[in-house]
Amino acid sequence: MKNLQRLFLLFLFAITIQSCEKELDIEVNDPRILTDDEFFSTPQGYLQALAGVYGNLSLTGKDGAGSSFLEGIDAGTSQFGRCLWYLQNLTTDEVIWSYENDEGVAELQRNTWTASNPILLGMYSRTMVGVAIANNFLRQSTPDKLASRGITNPTDVANIATYRNEVRAVRAYYYYVMMDLFGKAPFVTEANSVSADGVEYNRRQLFDFVESEMLAILPNLVAARANQYGRLDKAFAWAVLAKIYLNAEVYVGAPKYTECMTMCQNIINGGFALKTNYLDNFKADNNTSTELIFTLQSDGVKTQNFGATTVLINGQVGSVEGNGVALYGVPGWGGALRLRRQFVEKWTGSEFDFDSRKTIVGAGRTLDIANVGIQAQGFVLGKWSNRTSTGAAGVNSTFVDTDFPLFRRADFNLMYAEAQMRKDGATNANNNANANATSLGYVNALRERANDGNFANITANQLTLSYLLDERSRELHWEAHRRQDLIRFGRYSGGTYNWAWKGNVPFGGSIDGFRNLFPVPSGSLSANPNLTQNPGY
Amino acid sequence: MKTIYKKLLFSLFLLPLTVFAQSNFNGTVVDKGTSQPLPGVNVQVLGTKNSAVTDFDGAFKFTNVKAGSKVVFSYVGYENVTVTYSGQNDMKITMEESSSKLSEVVIQVGYGTAKKKDLTGATTTITAKEFNKGAIITTENLLTGRVAGLSVNTGGAPGSGSEIRIRGGASLFGSNSPLIVIDGLPIANDSGTGSVNFLATLNPATIETFTVLKDASSTAIYGARAANGVIIITTKKGGKNLSVEYNVQYGQGDVVKTVDVFGADAFREQITARQPNLVSRLGNTNTDWQRAIYQKTDFVDNSLSLRGNLFGFIPSRLTLGKTYQEGLRLTNTFARNTVGVALNPSFLNNHLKIKLNANYGNENNRFADGVEGNAIRFDPTQPVYDGSSPYGGFFEYFDRNDNNRLLALTPRNPVAQLLQTVDTGYSNRLFGNFEVDYKFHFLPSLRAIVNVGFDETWGQRTRNAGRFAATAGGNNNIPFGTSEFNSTYRKNALFDGYLAYNKTFGKLNFDATAGYSFQKFEGRGFSTGNRFDPTSAALDTPLFDSVILSYFARTNFSYNDKYIFTLTARRESSSKFDPDSRTGIFPAAGFAWKLKEEFFKENKTISDLKLRLGYGVSGQQDVGNNNDYIQQFGLGNVNSQYIIGNTAVPIGIPQRFSQGLTWEKTTTYNAAVDYGLFNNRINGTVEAFYKESSDLLAVVPSADGSNFSNRGFRNIGAFTTKGLEFTINADIIKGDKLNWNVNFNVTSFKREITQLGNVPFFQLGDNIAGTGTQAQVFQIGWAPYSYALFKQLYDASGQPVAGAFADLNGDNVINANDKYLFRNPDPKAIIGFSSNFNYKNFDLFFNLRANIGSRLFNAVNANRAQWSQLTTGVVPQNIPTSVLESNFEIQNNQSVLSDYFVENGSFLRMDNVTLGYTFPKWLEGKASLRMFTGVQNAFIITKYSGLDPEIGNNGVDNTIYPRQRQVLVGANIKF
Repeated sequence: MKNLQRLFLLFLFAITIQSCEKELDIEVNDPRILTDDEFFSTPQGYLQALAGVYGNLSLTGKDGAGSSFLEGIDAGTSQFGRCLWYLQNLTTDEVIWSYENDEGVAELQRNTWTASNPILLGMYSRTMVGVAIANNFLRQSTPDKLASRGITNPTDVANIATYRNEVRAVRAYYYYVMMDLFGKAPFVTEANSVSADGVEYNRRQLFDFVESEMLAILPNLVAARANQYGRLDKAFAWAVLAKIYLNAEVYVGAPKYTECMTMCQNIINGGFALKTNYLDNFKADNNTSTELIFTLQSDGVKTQNFGATTVLINGQVGSVEGNGVALYGVPGWGGALRLRRQFVEKWTGSEFDFDSRKTIVGAGRTLDIANVGIQAQGFVLGKWSNRTSTGAAGVNSTFVDTDFPLFRRADFNLMYAEAQMRKDGATNANNNANANATSLGYVNALRERANDGNFANITANQLTLSYLLDERSRELHWEAHRRQDLIRFGRYSGGTYNWAWKGNVPFGGSIDGFRNLFPVPSGSLSANPNLTQNPGY
Repeated sequence: MKTIYKKLLFSLFLLPLTVFAQSNFNGTVVDKGTSQPLPGVNVQVLGTKNSAVTDFDGAFKFTNVKAGSKVVFSYVGYENVTVTYSGQNDMKITMEESSSKLSEVVIQVGYGTAKKKDLTGATTTITAKEFNKGAIITTENLLTGRVAGLSVNTGGAPGSGSEIRIRGGASLFGSNSPLIVIDGLPIANDSGTGSVNFLATLNPATIETFTVLKDASSTAIYGARAANGVIIITTKKGGKNLSVEYNVQYGQGDVVKTVDVFGADAFREQITARQPNLVSRLGNTNTDWQRAIYQKTDFVDNSLSLRGNLFGFIPSRLTLGKTYQEGLRLTNTFARNTVGVALNPSFLNNHLKIKLNANYGNENNRFADGVEGNAIRFDPTQPVYDGSSPYGGFFEYFDRNDNNRLLALTPRNPVAQLLQTVDTGYSNRLFGNFEVDYKFHFLPSLRAIVNVGFDETWGQRTRNAGRFAATAGGNNNIPFGTSEFNSTYRKNALFDGYLAYNKTFGKLNFDATAGYSFQKFEGRGFSTGNRFDPTSAALDTPLFDSVILSYFARTNFSYNDKYIFTLTARRESSSKFDPDSRTGIFPAAGFAWKLKEEFFKENKTISDLKLRLGYGVSGQQDVGNNNDYIQQFGLGNVNSQYIIGNTAVPIGIPQRFSQGLTWEKTTTYNAAVDYGLFNNRINGTVEAFYKESSDLLAVVPSADGSNFSNRGFRNIGAFTTKGLEFTINADIIKGDKLNWNVNFNVTSFKREITQLGNVPFFQLGDNIAGTGTQAQVFQIGWAPYSYALFKQLYDASGQPVAGAFADLNGDNVINANDKYLFRNPDPKAIIGFSSNFNYKNFDLFFNLRANIGSRLFNAVNANRAQWSQLTTGVVPQNIPTSVLESNFEIQNNQSVLSDYFVENGSFLRMDNVTLGYTFPKWLEGKASLRMFTGVQNAFIITKYSGLDPEIGNNGVDNTIYPRQRQVLVGANIKF
């Protein structure tokens, strides 16, 4: 009897332990967390994954604006468009940020940044995590995978094939950004494993990759303006190609202006009509603008992010004026963004009196910014708005509805002209006015639109490369192009062209040539032994 | 005040209970030294089977005792006392501690007990009679400052939780909180919705002992969760004799200190001089905003404990508690109702022992927002109330000509925020354990123990504010109101089964314990977001389950009562890690040598001397997600969608994952000497330890472009802690009328990071002012949370030069490369001192704590004390007067990270002083009554210029909930 008791106890014990071992493999009971095979079991899963690939350009995380895929960095400070804008605009003559207690901002706008700058980390990691997300899509969407998951409907299969090409285009765009800002990147494709350290690609290798990749997928992308809102089409690839060709002398030391003109021409002929009202491109309903080739989305409810347009619209509201709600549909951040003298001076003269692109507000303000922390110094801008073209406010005053135009038709008018002039012999050193009639027409088309008439048009003699650089700033200011343009024109580093606070000097000073490239962030450098630091840092 | 009357009424109902205390031969046993009653004393009438055990109040009673019988009183650690019965009643027996038996005190060591004299590990036990006195709401405050190596830093909010650290913790990125085990049930260290603190539902009056396990040789039995030490809490057991104890306490509290800012007149002068265009924005009253947000507080604590033998064979205890504490912030209250039950029956001639502990706690809280920041900056010339304001009659900055729109960049009235927000929550918690301990009939040296534990908490919280509250949710600065609801449910279930064997073979005593443990944590939550906000989203928040499965074993060999060896091992598997790496083995060994027995057997001065050596490995599994090793996809919520065509599609994002993760490991080496002098009137411990935490689970940069984040968990870091602890307990005066006993302990430790993988440093800490302005780092060769700051330059007169910093790398540019490492928040020494003084029926208790050498970052000044902060850009705002000393003008990322703001955080604080008087023969000897008065948070001496140097938050002072000073009165009544 006793033995039986003991046996029974032992038996009970063994059963309990056995059944418990299995409990260690816990199941996830969150309907928003899925395994690969669960997630990709339907075409809808692929659509959501595609939204994820695009989403990294706008969103920072999956739980709203405060969340982030990245760690060790503020969600807002790592939003793609905002970082891009900080690097391309805040480091130039166009704008200054008042709150220098935000880590990293002062060093960027005073051109004294180091490899530990958090905004550089945000840009670098946000771009590369985009590559990782794109690679994962490509791994999960091969024909074999589709077949193994029972996705065989020809329409679904064809759609997913198109998604793949778009994802490759997004990935190539990310590498273009890395090439432009850092001059190098860890190179990772879907062929690498998730734990692989990417090998370092230099500027030349990245250039070749972006060019060949875009050319390879172009035939299979949806025709210009024929895709759904939010998805890219052929014009996106043309735009990236036009950009790398125009800057090819900077990137790889070889002129590619003819190729650039071809790509610009593709876009100009692609159906992207200039919006009649210039400012409609920067309002809460700019998703309907025919001029915008590709945008970074923002929506007060569905696509919340502390991204570029939220920062620009809130930031541009002046502390003196305090009229954000009335004019732009947001209360504003007390004068966070102001203009540097050199930008304001680009609008000197009566020829700009009726120019709708000139939205500068200077009343009650000083032109110079003696003290960056005083918001009443310096003029402010009124280009962006969270109100629609009919004046209705966006749905949410914290997160704007306004998309950020990544590529806009007007840019390619100016790029065409520049490429043509450079192809025909104009250089940064000799400032020839050698625009042909087509180029002049493209430039004047923008001025006619801005002035609602041709009275402010310029003549062929006026159109030099220097003039074109200024005109680019007048048309495209605060749209994340300025640094790239200044570098191409040789006016970024060095002392040829100085602007207020350049080189940490109130009236502008020279900066070293190595600052044409940003440093690889120290954390990223330490994590991947294949990477090397840029010279000077 | 209404509550107090209720309590007093309640106490009147108790008076009839006095009729119980009648018997033939009864009396009380008290400790000779302290005059405190001794519970659990064995009382035996010699030559008969007539025996009893004293109850909680030291009382015993017999019937049918013949005159002339000898009655023996025996108690572990005390000399036996024999008296001859001659018809006495109400006899007072005084028992004296015997030095030689002191060390036979039994201590909880995890899955069993051990005698103090046989311990090899670093273990400290604090029993009820040694507990701190005063207004103690959260259990851990009973031992604040009492144990070397243990620091308890409790917040100022009522019922607030504490930052509990044993020997500084053992992790960099994970939790540093010790494992807390209540009656054998390890609990999760986080509180659910509606609760203020995970220990707040435990009534301190139910606690019998705390045992603090400090080194790995003692904690290894708890294996993988014990790297930060273990605190074993044991609740009071049932008693055999009927006894009633009632404690009541009332306190009134007030704020002690506020941040020095400009008064109305001085502020007006400063604005006139420095921001003349804002003079028109000034008001004409004089408001001290920091006083306006606080209130005088009431505190009422009631506890009723009944013990007795239920149905004649179940020793039982029932404890009821009701606590009410108001917070300093307006509207803030904490209310708790608790019921605790313990049943301890024995069957089959004590072969089968059953323990049931069940605790129910109900917390009702009204939370108050942290409005200190706004109170510091609000214009002192403005009034709190403004009859014409549409915002509930509170002064606010708004535009009457634009829909009463609130002005951007102006602060909101902090008093209105408190009074107009109704943020309430409750939490109900049921926890306890059921233990069956069976001593085999055929092999009495073997016992089988099964312990089943459970802990269930469900709570909810609602936050409401009307649309006339300026701080409610809104759009475009027009409030639309706040209505939020959150709830969570958590469960923690435990099964332990183990065998314990104990046998003496000649000079060798051997005992062994081996068993199995299974524990599962589950939970789920729900939150609505703000239901008035069309853009916010309701959210189901399932918490991931987590499971821990372990096998453990421990053996003790004791030879000749001189040499003791302890070997422990635990094999633990956690669901948090990869199947390949989820199992770890945590071994430990301890050795003790009783030098007293070896060398000083006959020595009268040295009454105890023991050398202890310990080594062990314990672990930690606290990584962010419970399933970080699985590759998963996450879907965006309603705010994280991408619009394709006209459809918003939730983004599908591959989640970062980390394969091959495993436990953090902490290896501890411990060496100690326990000493006792003069019959142990002076006793204590000197202890030295060295800890090395390795394989630390750090979130480190991962190669960009590969995984789905820029960082991921890896077992990568290591740091060491070396320290010394010294404890002395002394009965300075020991007499019939006069007794004075003191406890003094000092802890000193030094932490140094030795490994961080490939990462040069980690930037850490709160943002000081703008985004990303973090003041602290983890860096190899330095203590965790060392400050990395710019070096302030000073002029010849010693005045800081605003905006001038040393160009430490000499490149003529001041940028992030010029930061240097400068000190850290760790104190060089932590000191605790407590004193118990008794004279006749008077008792006087106080305890003091000191921290020496800690450095704090005064972010209140760094964030606000610049002249440029006198304006928000729109209206005037107040700033700390410390700006008069620094004269700093501008706030930027360098000026806020100046080493100027690092201050000495050393302090000496008196937590409590209590004076009591006992009427031992109250109600004609049927009861005893002790009345007392005291002061909680009596004083603090410090050079720190901020509110309070006890910050927590790793030393960064970004405003705190201030601790109140309370005056207390109360009574303890025993029947």
